[in-house]
Amino acid sequence: MKLNIDGLLVYFPYDYIYPEQYSYMLELKRTLDAKGHGVLEMPSGTGKTISLLSLIVAYQKAYPLEVTKLVYCSRTVPEIEKVVEELRKLMDYYTKQTEAKNDFLALALSSRKNLCIHPEVSALRFGKEVDGKCHSLTASYIRAQHHSNPSQPVCQFYEEFDAVGRQVPIPPGIYNLDDLKDFGRRKGWCPYFLARYAILHANIVVYSYHYLLDPKIADLVSKELAKKSVVVFDEAHNIDNVCIDSMSVNITRRTLDRCQTNVETLQNTISRIKETDAAKLREEYSRLVEGLKEANVARETDMYLSNPVLPDEILQEAVPGSIRTAEHFVGFMKRFLEYLKARLRIHHVVQESAPQFLKDIYEKVCIDRKPLRFCAERLRSLLRTLEIADIADFSAITLISHFATLVSTYSKGFTIIIEPFEDRTPTIANPVLHFSCMDPSIAIKPVFGRFQSVIITSGTLSPLDIYPRILDFRPVTVASFTMTLARTCLCPLIVGRGNDQVAMTSKFETREDFAVIRNYGNLLLEMSAIVPDGIVAFFTSYIYMENIVASWYEQGILENIQRNKLIFIETQDAAETSMALEKYQEACENGRGAILLSVARGKVSEGIDFVHHYGRAVIMFGVPYVYTQSRILKARLEYLRDQFQIRENDFLTFDAMRHAAQCVGRAIRGKTDYGLMIFADKRYARADKRGKLPRWIQEHLTDGSLNLTIDETVQLGKHFLRQMAQPFRQEDQLGLSLLTLEQLQSEDMLQKIAQIAQQA
Amino acid sequence: MDEEPERAKRWEGGYERTWEVLKEDESGSLKASVEDILFQAKRKRYMSEGHGQVRLGMMRHLFVIIDSSRSMEDQDLRPNRLTSTLKLMEFFVEEYFDQNPISQIGIITTKNKRAEKLTDLAGNPKKHLAALKKAVDSTCVGEPSLYNSLNVAITGLVLTIYTLHMPAHTSKEILVIFSSLTTCDPANIYELIKTLNALKIRVSVIGLSAEVRVCTILTRETGGSYNVILDESHFKELLMLHVKPPPASSSSECSLIRMGFPQHVIASMSDQDAKPSFSMSHLDSTGEPGLTLGGYYCPQCRAKYTELPVECKVCGLTLVSAPHLARSFHHLFPLEAFQETPLEEYEGERFCEACQGELKDKSVFTCLACKKVFCVECDLFIHDTLHCCPGCMQTDRTS
Repeated sequence: MKLNIDGLLVYFPYDYIYPEQYSYMLELKRTLDAKGHGVLEMPSGTGKTISLLSLIVAYQKAYPLEVTKLVYCSRTVPEIEKVVEELRKLMDYYTKQTEAKNDFLALALSSRKNLCIHPEVSALRFGKEVDGKCHSLTASYIRAQHHSNPSQPVCQFYEEFDAVGRQVPIPPGIYNLDDLKDFGRRKGWCPYFLARYAILHANIVVYSYHYLLDPKIADLVSKELAKKSVVVFDEAHNIDNVCIDSMSVNITRRTLDRCQTNVETLQNTISRIKETDAAKLREEYSRLVEGLKEANVARETDMYLSNPVLPDEILQEAVPGSIRTAEHFVGFMKRFLEYLKARLRIHHVVQESAPQFLKDIYEKVCIDRKPLRFCAERLRSLLRTLEIADIADFSAITLISHFATLVSTYSKGFTIIIEPFEDRTPTIANPVLHFSCMDPSIAIKPVFGRFQSVIITSGTLSPLDIYPRILDFRPVTVASFTMTLARTCLCPLIVGRGNDQVAMTSKFETREDFAVIRNYGNLLLEMSAIVPDGIVAFFTSYIYMENIVASWYEQGILENIQRNKLIFIETQDAAETSMALEKYQEACENGRGAILLSVARGKVSEGIDFVHHYGRAVIMFGVPYVYTQSRILKARLEYLRDQFQIRENDFLTFDAMRHAAQCVGRAIRGKTDYGLMIFADKRYARADKRGKLPRWIQEHLTDGSLNLTIDETVQLGKHFLRQMAQPFRQEDQLGLSLLTLEQLQSEDMLQKIAQIAQQA
Repeated sequence: MDEEPERAKRWEGGYERTWEVLKEDESGSLKASVEDILFQAKRKRYMSEGHGQVRLGMMRHLFVIIDSSRSMEDQDLRPNRLTSTLKLMEFFVEEYFDQNPISQIGIITTKNKRAEKLTDLAGNPKKHLAALKKAVDSTCVGEPSLYNSLNVAITGLVLTIYTLHMPAHTSKEILVIFSSLTTCDPANIYELIKTLNALKIRVSVIGLSAEVRVCTILTRETGGSYNVILDESHFKELLMLHVKPPPASSSSECSLIRMGFPQHVIASMSDQDAKPSFSMSHLDSTGEPGLTLGGYYCPQCRAKYTELPVECKVCGLTLVSAPHLARSFHHLFPLEAFQETPLEEYEGERFCEACQGELKDKSVFTCLACKKVFCVECDLFIHDTLHCCPGCMQTDRTS
């Protein structure tokens, strides 16, 4: 259908539209018009992706000079593929309607592992291996060697691409990963480098967060994206953690040991080269004198060891003399390494800031701040000069050099914590140095700065005002959309008490309480008798889950539950978990019914959808607070309080509630789906917790569903499930939560739509 | 659950939120809303009718599978699910034979992972009713097994149809009354669904608690219906939907069925030739021997029966009486739904054609053929029981 969104002609590839999609597009259009950033929350299953794509593509077509490119960031490869498929549908619709030839180029980009077509390299199993192998076939000096010595193996796909691929543009169309591979095979070009080259002039790029957020990758892949791009972060509720992870470094004793070997290898190689080819080292020296800017002549294949955000002024400077020669640099690294080793040899926890660390290192081993800053760049240059092919081996020293550069570049927003042992095993020495980023805005700042519109969107972003604060940007639109429903297909219930009136809570003081554990068990038992097919239960942590399950076993509750449903448990082992998941789905399919016990923040809670019968009820046992005793967290909370005026408690609750919302949101994946959402903790009933749930859940949380007992929950649940089992057809939705074009254009519908979006 | 304390008292059972359906009107009164609910309820059943002119499978072979697992002890139906179900089943069996006189029914129960045949496929309601009455006292234990009970039903259906040389198109149906949310199966049930599909057996399910995925698939694949009850009256309504014969699959070809129409021979004690004799149907029943005079004699083999309809034990001929056949006639030519008009818009005499009472309800109903007007009650009576319009009958006769 063709829509008129605020004066913009939008092609929408479906016959029906949800009212909230229309509203979403209106808000999006406003954001683009204002050339600003936006935060938009809309529940999953209401067609966020297609709304985003339709509007932005229409915008691109209408104002080709205003918006030149859409960069769509998603989390996982399956999600990326899904976006490309939606896009394909949209483009097919365009061609059908306008009968013009499609001149749009859209493509997905992923790692080498997913795109490589080289017969040997692509057979490798791990991403790291593929990258390393690829590098050893395509690095510039390898290719130079190949010139003089044809027996040196190179990747023929890359050679082919390098020879002709850049001159001939890739024909317009929609390419997912498989399409790229097919295209590459047909032409004999390397799909990975083709895609990386093609994103520069593509209209739409779909890739993972890391290509924009991780400074080590972003610098190379996304450097040349035009300013007039629209960047979309989908499923962005965890974006702050992604930012933080990409900037943090953890160093263990093992890392240091491996680094030691790296340094020795380097040293040997240098002395060997010195005997055979001293000129090469001299050449490098002079290059370094001239400054990094020239050294930084882009050689895309050497991207493997790139630099974490170096401020521009550093690139103008020359590398300081103290590390300019290869031997000096290796000596410098050795000293640095010894210093780190000494620091790890402690018996108590140390926490310090970056300036403190720099001062200490200057005093102890006379390492200045400036050479440290150039560490990563200098190592990169050295590895290139030494022509070391298999770079995967040097990950340890690379990590250390990144750490050196980061610690000397940023004086604020980071903290260094050295722990001699893990908290849970105080007797086993396992020293770790955490160089932890506390400020997610550092990693994302370049993104907000560079692009004209950045859209952050997800099903659970509530409370909306906190994201702009912790990511430090100023959005022009902040809106939350509710789900319009023809029938109330979600039923959030807060269970606060057992039948014996003992309060149910995972609060630290009472979590070991026998009565609480028994009540949790009874709740699960009762629910297993009334909920059909699948139930997913989330615990706050693995340890807590183990304790409870053990206790249930002793009390015989597990045995009773197993009469109704089979029980599966998520463990920290990924293979075991995916096996459990598979069997769980089989049991749901066969009518036996199953319960999956899993952990909030675990793999299941983030990435796995439980559509329809795979999740008819979600039970959240307790409030999933993050482990508050962790020093890293404490440091971060302190930082948030000092820098952003966010109180510790506010942040902790926000974090817990977004994870709880994620967990319970797993069950509702669309308007025809239905499910019970049970929050089993009396603390959820408090206004500060309840108020932080997404609006589309809060809306259905009436006063009658707060602080229930198990019995009341069973009654309400039974009633709800029976209601939902009544026949429900598409016609029932029409006009209410599903609109045709005519219905959409009617006056009062437009008025209703205006109410869907709630500005925060 | 053996250890679970008995919860026999009604007030311990739980809350019924009966008030939730009620809504106040502008003046805060509930009256309008209550009347509306009653009115809707009356109309509902007959609105669901109306597949018009389609072929119906008149000769039905139906197996009813009754879940008797632990979950049947749940008290959300009074006094518990089992008793309530069996009571409704008795009613259903009577209605079924009333409306489908040349059809057969059989009952299977499932508990403790096993399936047990309560009664075989047979055309006589008495035996089924007796079995149902007896089943009330049985205990509900363990899990049900959908696979096993379907398997028993399939064997039963296939066997009967083969031995009786029934044409392939006679409708084969299974109705499952499923209370549990779990099933304990010895093998993959999806294989069984394929078999059911190949045999063209329709499986319908009435769920007593919630929508179970495997039942959705089962009914969708075999062309049956799947409903979940809301309360007892809804349960009854859903059960009654299965009284009407289902549309026959259009692919099946027509064929003739041999049937016998035995005459009722009445003999009095004074008649010298009359000799008391046993009915053939008493062969396998241990009930009262009952020597009787007269009865129905099979036109093919002269075997005697006291009741119709029945299959001849000797030659396998289906014995029916003409009124029986005539009774299933109305399914083929259902009376068309009357047109509903609001009372305000209706102009004319305010009298119901049938009961002569005053038209007071919200709407009036007009027969499309004779344009006579009826009230709600009569409209229901005509469609549910009479199956012909009194107005039309009158005009037919006068013309």
